[in-house]
Amino acid sequence: MGDKPVWEPIGSSFIQHYYQLFGNDRTQLSAVYIDASCLTWEGQQFQGKAAIVEKLSSLPFQKIQHSLMVQDHQPIPDSFIISMVVGQLKADEDPIMGFHQMFLLKNIQVAWVCTDDMFRLALHNFG
Amino acid sequence: MCSTLRKCGTYRTEVAECHDHGSPFQGRKKGGNSLRDNSDKRNCHHEHGGYERPSSHCQENDGSVEMRDVHKDQQLRHTPYSIRCDRRMKWHSEDEICITTWRNRKPPGRKMRQNTQDGYTRNWFKVTIPYGIKYDKSWLMNSIQSHCSAPFTPVDFHYIRNRACFFVQDATTASVLKDVSYKICDDENRKICIFVNHSTAPYSVKNKLKPGQMEMLKLTMNKRYNVSQQALDLQNLRFDPDLMGRDIDIILNRRNCMAATLKIIERNFPELLSLNLCNNKLYQLDGLSDIIEKAPKVKTLNLSKNKLESAWELGKVKGLKLEELWLEGNPLCSTFSDQSAYVSAIRDCFPKLLRLDGRELSAPMIVDIDSSEIMKPCKENFTGSETLKHLVLQFLQQYYSIYDSGDRQGLLGAYRDEACFSLAIPFDAEDSAPNSLRKYFEDSRNMKTLKDPHLKGELLRHTKRDIVDSLSALPKTQHDLSSILVDMWCQTEWMLCFSVNGVFKEVEGQSQGSVLAFTRTFIATPGGSSSLCIVNDELFVRDASPQETQSAFSIPVSTLSSSSEPSLSQEQQEMVQAFSAQSGMKLEWSQKCLQDNEWNYTRAGQVFTMLQTEGKIPAEAFKQIS
Repeated sequence: MGDKPVWEPIGSSFIQHYYQLFGNDRTQLSAVYIDASCLTWEGQQFQGKAAIVEKLSSLPFQKIQHSLMVQDHQPIPDSFIISMVVGQLKADEDPIMGFHQMFLLKNIQVAWVCTDDMFRLALHNFG
Repeated sequence: MCSTLRKCGTYRTEVAECHDHGSPFQGRKKGGNSLRDNSDKRNCHHEHGGYERPSSHCQENDGSVEMRDVHKDQQLRHTPYSIRCDRRMKWHSEDEICITTWRNRKPPGRKMRQNTQDGYTRNWFKVTIPYGIKYDKSWLMNSIQSHCSAPFTPVDFHYIRNRACFFVQDATTASVLKDVSYKICDDENRKICIFVNHSTAPYSVKNKLKPGQMEMLKLTMNKRYNVSQQALDLQNLRFDPDLMGRDIDIILNRRNCMAATLKIIERNFPELLSLNLCNNKLYQLDGLSDIIEKAPKVKTLNLSKNKLESAWELGKVKGLKLEELWLEGNPLCSTFSDQSAYVSAIRDCFPKLLRLDGRELSAPMIVDIDSSEIMKPCKENFTGSETLKHLVLQFLQQYYSIYDSGDRQGLLGAYRDEACFSLAIPFDAEDSAPNSLRKYFEDSRNMKTLKDPHLKGELLRHTKRDIVDSLSALPKTQHDLSSILVDMWCQTEWMLCFSVNGVFKEVEGQSQGSVLAFTRTFIATPGGSSSLCIVNDELFVRDASPQETQSAFSIPVSTLSSSSEPSLSQEQQEMVQAFSAQSGMKLEWSQKCLQDNEWNYTRAGQVFTMLQTEGKIPAEAFKQIS
């Protein structure tokens, strides 16, 4: 990979933008998804921008804060980027929980949108 | 005020060149004529669907009409007010209004060179898609077809440099196709442009074989057909004595000959299984691509001793599900650095290939699943069909059994040559990391805090050799596959993304016995031999929570077992793990089965299989994945 790692700043700024929107007003997240996007939230799947935003907006909390601890980005052939985020979140007055999220980003016209998204809370019941 | 203006009159239907003095009709004739000429050219130009085409359109040998100089004519057209008036003159004065109308704003009607007397058109139109070479041919044609109200038959599809071209026969189709321009989006969201021009008939039509020749060709082909093997041997067809004797020159490179041959195959040997085209001087396979529709069952293709220069040509017949292919004796064979690169490239094109140039290829791994089934173009069956889940589980079991084995070099086969791997842990300073994670710290790539660009680049491994070397340097592990949770969260035509959440144990060194939790995301494509091939691999490792540590590797007391529960030996624990991985049953059920069979692994396996076929094992006994 002799080219400059452009996926890193792109991934970073996407993530920053995403969590900012998420924290301020989740309904605005429709801007980062497209109609072909798919969200896998704790194992459940939501297809399409509308369904995704509906799911996110209907999550049972008013206020949410994210603290991002780890980020990593990798390029995928055909100009996709995969971004990983691990961090902690606090919803309303609930205890702090860890989370892990993966974003698959694609360049559409001039913007980078999320075509697939996977979210898992870290304290998960295995087995 | 110009008296001439009044003389111009209120309604002029022709361009008037107005001069200060002299007749207002001076030069009118010239203007009129040039208009008329222009409009003809404009008629044709309209076929382009706009004025995008500059005069650089070059003529191609198949005789499509030259459209040079239209641009220039257009300019002439669009300076309508070439009225050399004295600027002092006003058009409108208080008491005079001069209205002029211009003739031929729109072209009168298309003048077609058609033979309408016969009641049908003999028009041919050439359809060109610039950069059409980028797209998969069947995707492109299907997309175009889906935008057309009526089906059409493309004739003589071929590529000229970057352009894809084909011919269609009637004006209505041509017009419909022209309208499809800029309607189809490719997967980079660029709109595909389609040009449609008048054209002379395509080569294969102009030079169509006469019925007598077709009959002779058919007889010759019949002689070369082996009924029992459903094999057609067309090697060195041109020099067949029967054909030469009749002065019939079947040069398969020529579109008309190839089309005729395929037509005969379609009519007489549609169930063809094997086709031999050896020694026919073929340098391109544009014509052969129609075989996918005409003889779709062909499994064996011999293209040896031809003039194919590049493996790219094979893409034109990619739709055939070939099991055996012969290519030796083509210039393309020497374009590869080594034998395995050659085999790999050919297998990429024909994933089900079993024999190349007479040599058996390595048998496909694990499950033999039709790749087209794995990768559905639409995301309807998103959570994964059963086959997909099965494939992923099998892949993970194979992967981790090598990963845990102590020698990770075996993983080379699981990665693509150019794949990406990186790992991260949630600690940014070595000292803050607990002992268990220290050994992962060196390789940890946290973009949030890692600023050194050199290190950033180094820690993103991007060749499979590098990846496997860095994996081999990580501590030895034992993964608990019975408790993994798999999310399959993205599926496109060519890739599958899934994330595995689970725990593993450190099996040696300082932190032996400590349990770590991980989330590993794989992006994989169907591998050449019906397995998965990793393109991206991202690993996140952290300490397991007390709850996770407890439930990991645990052999819970089963309510079905006897009351006195002796603790299991190391060997027995390993047997339970292995049995669980192989049978798919949860740990406690696996343990029960082994216990019931006195820890005789083979017997337990047989009993399990028997019970399973009898349907006696409840669903809850098996591990779940999402």
